[in-house]
Amino acid sequence: MTFTLSRPRERARTRQSYVTRRNIPYLLIMPALLGFLVFKAYPIIAAMYISLTTGAGAARSFVGLDNYVRLVNDPLFWTSLWNTGLILVVQVPIMLLFALLLSLGLNSPLVRLRGLWRLGVFMPSLTGLVAYGVMFSVILRKDAGLLNWLLGLFGVTPIDWLGSPFWARISIVIALTWHYTGYNAVIYLAGLQSIPKELYEAAMVDGAGAARRFWSITVPQLRPILALTVVLSTIGTLQLFDEPFVLTGGGPDNSTLTISLYLYQNGFRYFDFGYAAAIAYALTLIVAVFGIAQMRLQKK
Amino acid sequence: MIDRRAALAVLLTGALTAACGTTEDPGQAGPVKITVWSWKPASDGLAAVAKDFEKANPNIKVTVQAVGNPAIWDKITIDMAAGGKGLGDVLHIGIDYLPGYMDKFPGGLADLRKLGADSHKDAFAKGLWPTVTGKDGGVYAMPWEVNPVGFFYRKDLFDKAGVEVEKITTWDEAIEAGKKLKEKTGAFLVGLNKSAAGSVDMDFYQSLLQQQGAFYFNGQGEVTLSSAPAVQAMTLLKKMNDAGIVADTSGEGTAKQLISGGKLAVLPWAAWAVSYIPDMRPEQKGLWRVMQPPAVTPGGKRTAIVNSTHLAVSGTSPHQKEAYTFVEYALTRPEVINKVFKEGGVFPALTAAYSDPRYTEPQPYYGDQPALKPFVDALTEGADATYYSGDYARALKIASDAQTKVLLKGADPAAALTEAATLLAQQTNRKLAG
Repeated sequence: MTFTLSRPRERARTRQSYVTRRNIPYLLIMPALLGFLVFKAYPIIAAMYISLTTGAGAARSFVGLDNYVRLVNDPLFWTSLWNTGLILVVQVPIMLLFALLLSLGLNSPLVRLRGLWRLGVFMPSLTGLVAYGVMFSVILRKDAGLLNWLLGLFGVTPIDWLGSPFWARISIVIALTWHYTGYNAVIYLAGLQSIPKELYEAAMVDGAGAARRFWSITVPQLRPILALTVVLSTIGTLQLFDEPFVLTGGGPDNSTLTISLYLYQNGFRYFDFGYAAAIAYALTLIVAVFGIAQMRLQKK
Repeated sequence: MIDRRAALAVLLTGALTAACGTTEDPGQAGPVKITVWSWKPASDGLAAVAKDFEKANPNIKVTVQAVGNPAIWDKITIDMAAGGKGLGDVLHIGIDYLPGYMDKFPGGLADLRKLGADSHKDAFAKGLWPTVTGKDGGVYAMPWEVNPVGFFYRKDLFDKAGVEVEKITTWDEAIEAGKKLKEKTGAFLVGLNKSAAGSVDMDFYQSLLQQQGAFYFNGQGEVTLSSAPAVQAMTLLKKMNDAGIVADTSGEGTAKQLISGGKLAVLPWAAWAVSYIPDMRPEQKGLWRVMQPPAVTPGGKRTAIVNSTHLAVSGTSPHQKEAYTFVEYALTRPEVINKVFKEGGVFPALTAAYSDPRYTEPQPYYGDQPALKPFVDALTEGADATYYSGDYARALKIASDAQTKVLLKGADPAAALTEAATLLAQQTNRKLAG
């Protein structure tokens, strides 16, 4: 009996020489790390090299920083930068405000059928790109589109949603907001639910009204989550591709051309991989600068 | 905590942006099997003759895949960038992509001269062979489909407006007719996707250029987007647009709606439309006619080849000889190519095919007019070769932006095209033609 008990113990000891308390965390992250090295690190480094070349395959040649010089002098790159910035500045605050209001509503104890509402709010995030593109092109059609029909009931003349440079940008903002508000609302909801009830109870005992409770408890408690969504949404919008790709193709007259879309066009339409890689690096730089700046600001 | 998470997110997204590339298994082994990449409905035509081909060549098995258009371009591009891994043996490539593949991926497509393609040099409609010939003189594809432009018109609408369409010989006359038409019937002369939403709509503009023997580039590869013919063609578009006779066909299905409502009197579509229009609007039988489009200048050329598609052989295929055997079988025999035409609706580039009675027989849908005849006449007359260059995709986009500026913002054609030509020259490192 004692003999049989001691054997597994011995086995465990021999195993311990390979798997120790110290190295087990590294073993656990190994699959993710390997995946990162193969699918992320390698392409990042390869793209750095490609951005210093021109041509493809056998015709690839080293051109140094030519692609970056070209980038600075390319009016279309600046257009794409401007469009992306404009959509960012308008869309992210609107979406996050909506998301916050939605999450407050979802979190209210007065709401019935909560599960159903939550599902509804989150559903757009699950919609596939193609379905979503087709749906919006039907909604936004100038003649016989759903939105124009609805506006028509209030006497608004039909708007050329995808055909006019101004409205095309608005359409992108609408589509983006529809797609990602629910996602952010769910993050906020999780944040709201982690705020201790005692804080509210204490405030109520002290006689604080609903508005006071919101500004003095909800907002400060939610701050880390708010910061997270601002950074994530900023990064997401800087890389905006899907919506202009399916809805406008970057038009009309490049008014919805975003950096990522321009990158795609150069790589896959014009076979200019070196230049596309240079755009990718410029975008990475911009994303990094924005991300770091926002984190610094939030620390203060 | 948040800081770290956000930092990771910054890192990861940067990685995502920079990352791209896929590979596929070559999947070629055993007896000679060749794969053909095409798209519907053309692929149906090829699949139909592939069976006959296999009977005549029992040692070769042909699989025709309908990869889909535009999906096929991304697939070919990625596979070529990966050194030809996973590529089909025979590739159906449109003129809008062929020069790009030839220029940007040397060795990506096989030089068919070595396999004897040169012997078919004069078998195809004039103007096509130069487009499949590389700078090195190599032949990188065989012409399959050719699309001379046509002028499909609703005879009933023009009759109502009191216009004899057959007598129109220039686009200026067509504009006058269009004004009358709009006034009497409410129908637009032509439709264009003015904002280029979804996809560019440049075939009409390009046909106006091609009628003048001009294009975005000249034979020396210089940019000619701001040349006199280019400005003249764009000025014509502006004139039509300002006269209120150009419908905006942007948006899913808008053009189809306008056509079914009798609001579009002219479709400046190419040869493929001869079978497409009856399929699309069977109830409008007898209302449509077709002729060659009017000329840009009085007495000028009325023909233009708006596009063509080809079959090429992958430069990395281990079975180039067998692949070429199939290409030659499918594209150079009148009876075979006419079967492809019948099954796949692809107007053949092979001139010997036109002696078949189907090209001159009256078609009830077009009021017993021999509807294919204007196209055969156009091809017999011969069109000028168009120099697409390896930068055609970029030129197309930039020209489309200029057209949008003119049609939507009322920009001056010469100014918009000068700006476009300068941008194109800057982006492609090409000279502006003098």
